[in-house]
Amino acid sequence: MEKKRLFKILSRAESTDVIQLGKKIQNKYPVMVIKKPEKALAMIKMREPVQNSLFYLGEVIISEAAVSIDGTVGRAAAMGDDFEKTLNMAVIDAACNKGVFEDENLLLEWEAKQNELTEKENAMLQKTKVDFHSMDSEVTA
Amino acid sequence: MAYVAVSGGEEAIEASIRLLDYYRSGTDKDLELDALVHKFGLLIEKVMSESGLYAKEYAALALKQCEGSAEEAVFLLRAYRSTLKRSHYTNAVDTGKMRIIRRISAAFKDIPGGQLLGASYDYTHRLIHFERENENASELHEHFHKILAEQTPEKVQSCGRVSDMLKDEGLINRFPEDNTEPYDVTEKLLEFPAPRSARLQTMTRADTGFLSGLAYSVLRGFGQVHPTVGELRSGYIELEIPYPDSDDTIYLGEILITEVEAFAQSEDKDQLKLASGYGAVFGRNENKAIAMAVIDRELERGGDYAAQDEEFVLTHGDCLEMNGFISHLKLPHYVTFQSKLDAVRKTRRKQENEEC
Repeated sequence: MEKKRLFKILSRAESTDVIQLGKKIQNKYPVMVIKKPEKALAMIKMREPVQNSLFYLGEVIISEAAVSIDGTVGRAAAMGDDFEKTLNMAVIDAACNKGVFEDENLLLEWEAKQNELTEKENAMLQKTKVDFHSMDSEVTA
Repeated sequence: MAYVAVSGGEEAIEASIRLLDYYRSGTDKDLELDALVHKFGLLIEKVMSESGLYAKEYAALALKQCEGSAEEAVFLLRAYRSTLKRSHYTNAVDTGKMRIIRRISAAFKDIPGGQLLGASYDYTHRLIHFERENENASELHEHFHKILAEQTPEKVQSCGRVSDMLKDEGLINRFPEDNTEPYDVTEKLLEFPAPRSARLQTMTRADTGFLSGLAYSVLRGFGQVHPTVGELRSGYIELEIPYPDSDDTIYLGEILITEVEAFAQSEDKDQLKLASGYGAVFGRNENKAIAMAVIDRELERGGDYAAQDEEFVLTHGDCLEMNGFISHLKLPHYVTFQSKLDAVRKTRRKQENEEC
């Protein structure tokens, strides 16, 4: 699974679920903490559409951690300050990198539920779409 | 009269600080942060925008600490932010991929993807709902939880920009991708003329009232007249940082922003083209985003009005700086004021002597 997808699923998942999954790996493999979870800032870089240039919108608080399983490093960074979740995200990443992660199907289940929730919220939003069908079409030229 | 510098007041200051807690102690009810985050969302977004820090729970805590004063909360967040290390810069966010929750155009009724009103107070009667005094929060929560569960999922689709339609027709200039690293006003002092990136960063963290007032002055005739909101969109953008030693990325999370493109006359003397101004802010601060877009256009154009003067706009709108400077007027100025008083007395005495 590509990293962006992995971290998107983990980031949107309940903290307790991620911690439980990470603990399962920790019980099976020796995990060494390389970088204890700590808060940091990430500056948000944006592209603006008017002159197609870059600018900084502001910063976001993140927590980040790194661990290793038998020398294979795993990393994590996520918005917020849920240290235990971030640490276990790094554990899961290390297990993926080492090729010993066994619960990809579980992640896919989480992802399906997360997407369903987003799409249900989108359904509520789509009800606010304006219907202009009774009016003349736009004059473009 | 001799000048006398004084010290003291420490005990009074400590008592004053204690009194702040007394003012928060008038009820035995607490303000839960979770409730603040979800029920005072717009205030929290305004504070995050003005502090330049997207951290909802921290903004809620700051507001709780200072009796809901937006400027104090901004001060607290900026101060806290300065204690943290900046470890990352995100990959450049393309807002064309935004997960949109509201999108309107005042320029065209038919826009690609349609107009999505989303949640807005624009269409409400401004009447106080007195029944909300005794609202059952858990009932409300459950009610919408149930409604959400009953929805038939609809795929989320990103929408093209309204300005792209005009760019395709050559009515607005299309610029090549500019990958110049942005200027960072949190690390370097502003210099004039300021690069576009410094302007946009300064405005997005500016005081909402300052930007709104300036944009209002433009609309009232102290600038170009009445730009058109080509597109206003609010939605979630995904933040990513590079995964070390690979082409992959780490997804950090998503943030809610509002961005605006406002169309106005270009400098082109033949009037064959339009030009856009751009605004983007944290949260659903729509008026701030519109104001920013209006002023962006004014600054690009330049001129003699306040909103067209880059130094005026960029050096007077920071919430922390403006309130800090105004607030300093409350601090003891005993020595300088005595000096002013002496000067007036001396002049009066001189005048009296001359009259004698």
